[in-house]
Amino acid sequence: MDHAIIVEKLNVWIRGNHVLKDIDLKVPQGSVTAIMGPSGSGKSTLLRSINRLVELVPGTRVKGKVMVFGRDIYSEDPYRVRKDVTMVSQTPNPFPHMSIYDNVAIGPKIHKLVKSKKELDKLVRWALEKAMLWDEVKDRLHEPPTVLSGGQQQRLCLARALALKPKILMLDEPTANIDPVNSKKIEEAIKALVRDEGITVIFVTHTPAQAVRVSDFIAFIYNGRIVEYGPSRELALNPTHELTEKFLRGEIG
Amino acid sequence: MMDSRTIKEKAFLITIFILTLLGVTPVFYVLASVFYKGIEAFARRGLGILIKINGGILPALVGSFVLSILSTIIGVVLAFVAGLFVAEFPNSWVSKATRVASRSLLEVPTVLLGMLVYIILVVPTGHFSLLAGALALALVMLPYVMVHVEQALESVPQLYKEAGYSIGMSRAQVLFGVSVGIAKRGIASGVLMGFAKAMGETAPLLFTIGAARSSLPCSILSPGDAVPLMIFQYAQMPQEYYHDLAWAGSLVLVIAFLVVFFVVRRLVKEVRY
Repeated sequence: MDHAIIVEKLNVWIRGNHVLKDIDLKVPQGSVTAIMGPSGSGKSTLLRSINRLVELVPGTRVKGKVMVFGRDIYSEDPYRVRKDVTMVSQTPNPFPHMSIYDNVAIGPKIHKLVKSKKELDKLVRWALEKAMLWDEVKDRLHEPPTVLSGGQQQRLCLARALALKPKILMLDEPTANIDPVNSKKIEEAIKALVRDEGITVIFVTHTPAQAVRVSDFIAFIYNGRIVEYGPSRELALNPTHELTEKFLRGEIG
Repeated sequence: MMDSRTIKEKAFLITIFILTLLGVTPVFYVLASVFYKGIEAFARRGLGILIKINGGILPALVGSFVLSILSTIIGVVLAFVAGLFVAEFPNSWVSKATRVASRSLLEVPTVLLGMLVYIILVVPTGHFSLLAGALALALVMLPYVMVHVEQALESVPQLYKEAGYSIGMSRAQVLFGVSVGIAKRGIASGVLMGFAKAMGETAPLLFTIGAARSSLPCSILSPGDAVPLMIFQYAQMPQEYYHDLAWAGSLVLVIAFLVVFFVVRRLVKEVRY
């Protein structure tokens, strides 16, 4: 099987704190991987190491290797890496000074992915459809994103990330701040993206149930180390490590 | 029978209302007297004083217009760049020094800024000029605008900058496409504050523009006049005629301010998030 992401001996320090310790991870192409673990275990940092967003925090040191489709991302232009490996944050953050349309169009514009307005329109529509938002916003594309609910805003952020036609999509607790209906839509959107577009997805979650529902693999991370990694159902039903078991029972977290 | 809590609350509200009234009364008093005396002056001397060079206020109007544009260009460009830099690189020593310098500049009496320009520009060139006045006013507005630009940019939540980075924007694209876009209202208010502050100033002009009030300036390098300076000097004259010119000038200045404020605030919409 081809691997979309290979992480080797990744260590990250943030202001002297050893946040990630000797992380090894292989994510197969076209799969969904859930990173699960208690708060402060390094889940988000791991995600942000894969698109080099982690470097934006002053005092960060990264050691080790992250390969994305065979390319060592730490020897590449970070802006290019982030175009191919886009991320959706935990809190919905559509650009408040741009219209709904422009929020989705900005990515393709700055990376010059389209040649004409018509092509751009098509891409924006495609991204909004994939994010399951098109029907709700098609008549108000030129209004600011603040007219949308939190859940809709989060799907707009998903569309913004998708408009770049990323090879890998990362989501940092994408449903942590939104209601169950919107969460379900995002979960469905993720599944459809993997099925129809072959995108590789990696997301952070707090909830084992969500991890099982959406992902093929689960990586359980504790205190900066990957404790267990394996097929979702197996890991959730028969955890081999004591810590994973405790987490699933709700005793740590 | 009211309980003591209700009475206290009522008393508190009434006190606040009275204090607010005390606070805004001077504003309305000034506006009302400027409008009343200004209109009276125009009624007595005719609208012709607006375009009269000798014995009218045209040189002052032209001078103020030129000064406002020139000083805004110099001051706002410098302040904007400095504000951007300080907000973007808050921990560099240049930013720290700039911050201290700009906060200190805020406290410097503006007449000293006029004298500074007198020494560095008027004395070497050998004559007063509008350019020298504009430079002095630019120095007055510089720290105001810079502080506002800096604060407006700093108030942009990290969340949105991160959104920019996570779709592969470069640092410059995040700065200009995201931060400046979200902070535009704050930046515009800062520019307006600086503009208003500079346009109302008299002291920096005393040593710089030369109060040439009987002819029009032929270039930015020639001496000129400005409305606040004219008001200051005409108000000290014994003749009633000059008092009227001063009131007429005040009225024009106030109206010009109100128009600029209204237009800019309408054009630059607030970004809600």
